[in-house]
Amino acid sequence: MPILEAQALTKTFRRPDKDSGFKGAVRHLMQRKYKNYTAVDGIDLSIEAGESVAYVGPNGAGKSTTVKLLTGILRPSEGTVRVMGRDPHVERIANAHDIGVLFGQRTQLWWDLPVEESLKLLKHMYGVSDADYKRRIERFDELLDLNEFMPALARTLSLGQRMRADLACALIHDPKMVYLDEPTIGLDISVKDRLRAFLRELVNDGTTLLLTSHDLADIEEVCERIVVIDKGAVAYDGSIERLKAHYITTKAVNLYLEGAANVPELAEKFPDYEWTAGEAPSEVVVTYESNRFTTAEVLGSLTAQLSPRDLSLSEPSIEDVIRRLYAGELTK
Amino acid sequence: MSHSIAVDRALVVISFKRRLAYKSHWFFGLAIGGGSMLIAMVMWQNLIGSGTLSGYDWDSMRAYTIIGFVAATMVFGAADWIMADRILDGHIAVDLTKPVDFQRARAAEYVGSMLSTFPTAVMGVVAAWLLFQPPGPATPLAGLLTVVSFLLMFPLAFGLTYLSTLVCFWTKRYLGIMWLREALLSFFSGLMIPLAFMPGWLQAVAWALPFPHFTTTPSAIYLGRVDTAGALGLLAAEAAWAVGLWVLGWLVFRTAVKKVTVHGG
Ligand SMILES: Nc1ncnc2c1ncn2[C@@H]1O[C@H](COP(=O)(O)OP(=O)(O)O)[C@@H](O)[C@H]1O
Ligand SMILES: [Mg+2]
Repeated sequence: MPILEAQALTKTFRRPDKDSGFKGAVRHLMQRKYKNYTAVDGIDLSIEAGESVAYVGPNGAGKSTTVKLLTGILRPSEGTVRVMGRDPHVERIANAHDIGVLFGQRTQLWWDLPVEESLKLLKHMYGVSDADYKRRIERFDELLDLNEFMPALARTLSLGQRMRADLACALIHDPKMVYLDEPTIGLDISVKDRLRAFLRELVNDGTTLLLTSHDLADIEEVCERIVVIDKGAVAYDGSIERLKAHYITTKAVNLYLEGAANVPELAEKFPDYEWTAGEAPSEVVVTYESNRFTTAEVLGSLTAQLSPRDLSLSEPSIEDVIRRLYAGELTK
Repeated sequence: MSHSIAVDRALVVISFKRRLAYKSHWFFGLAIGGGSMLIAMVMWQNLIGSGTLSGYDWDSMRAYTIIGFVAATMVFGAADWIMADRILDGHIAVDLTKPVDFQRARAAEYVGSMLSTFPTAVMGVVAAWLLFQPPGPATPLAGLLTVVSFLLMFPLAFGLTYLSTLVCFWTKRYLGIMWLREALLSFFSGLMIPLAFMPGWLQAVAWALPFPHFTTTPSAIYLGRVDTAGALGLLAAEAAWAVGLWVLGWLVFRTAVKKVTVHGG
């Protein structure tokens, strides 16, 4: 049985329908017109215990709303959610014991108190034993350098420290199902790297993870499965490998020639490939279809006839695929 | 059971500490509360002189004013807007992911925040006692029942505050609701002027509301304006309001939680 199962999950918000400006506001006060806006539109999602799922989509696609529905914060307008067999909104308190939640843009630390106080309160709330608490704090300290800011007031922390502390808060009770909504937002590269290493460990230890992010490196490094949503509906659901294999049908080589590259002339000479100018005048990008030509063939013909000064292969990137998915170019 | 009590205690302590983190609020509260008490004293001394007004002489008015000061410090000093802000700024999303009953957790926090007014109240009362030397309670039992009345003020104040913060789910604003509640409380509790000074119909309105228990009930018991049976009746009414508001809060929250719409991440 899956640990999480959502069926036809839908959330419709009522939004005030008012014209801008003072007149619009007054008219709205008198007439109270509303428009319905469907932020999550019939999502089916099933997650097995131990899976790590990236939940990806452009801004406003409905990622955070989905997380709020799955964690029981919001009540679905339609459809059902079951987490470990429970309805998370109806059985909110029982469900809360088994889940860990982090909203990257919202802290759960008590702003005006030392970080340690927030963690201790959570220890009480979840009924964590002294021994477990100590062990987990030690482990978080190893991976996230928690002790560096345990005595500091939450409001004095840097964003990276705050996120690390919030992550500890979300995981202090060793939840089976973890939801992280934008856990790396606004962090610098080195903090992101540490956080990802930490999340990989978490997944290796068997925790089920659902992670939303804008940062595709988060996704590739931490998750095996990717769910892409757009306008509240699922656009792709499957393994990251399959996504690449299916949709990355072209590869590219960057060539650095001796002199300036004449793109139209090259395109005429090698009509099977696509040619575009590179960043430098002597650089060209050659794109070819990977099911028609092998890389060896392409490199062979290019180097024999052009003798480039240097060349580099660009790795197929999931970013391009997702960007094209967003743009509606690809279909399931 | 013992586990949930440990959670309550942790919430009381943390909210007490949070309030103490704002020392300036605290001194401000003491200054305003103490200042209003002084002004009231001077005013009543001039109005009453050596006579009586609706059964209050200058002796009993001094005790009345001090009791009003303690009640005001407790209810106005507790951090009600913290509760409202969490609903308004969407932090309720975080609260709803915690394995605790929402109402009970907010009640524990509110008690902690009311307890943080204790030092202010004690300082004010000691200073007032030295300055004005009010009379003691009518009888030792009346003194004890006055304390009970103050203790019942905790759940009563929570019930009122909780309900008014839940209104934020609909209004998406708090300030106006807070002003309204505080104005009703100041007026109908007898904090500004004793209810006995008001026309009969206005007194009837007041007694149909929970507010008189914030000053009139404890002072009536303390001064012996009601006998023991009357005092017990007042305390029963106060307790009934506390229970009734708790149940009402529970019902309103059940409806409100279905309306939660937290915007953004
Ligand atoms: N409480 C709300 N009321 C009205 N509209 C909302 C509310 N919450 C979110 N929305 C709208 O729903 C859409 C999806 O929002 P969200 O789930 O936060 O997107 P994401 O996290 O993918 O960026 C957005 O257009 C947003 O403006
Ligand atoms: Mg979001």
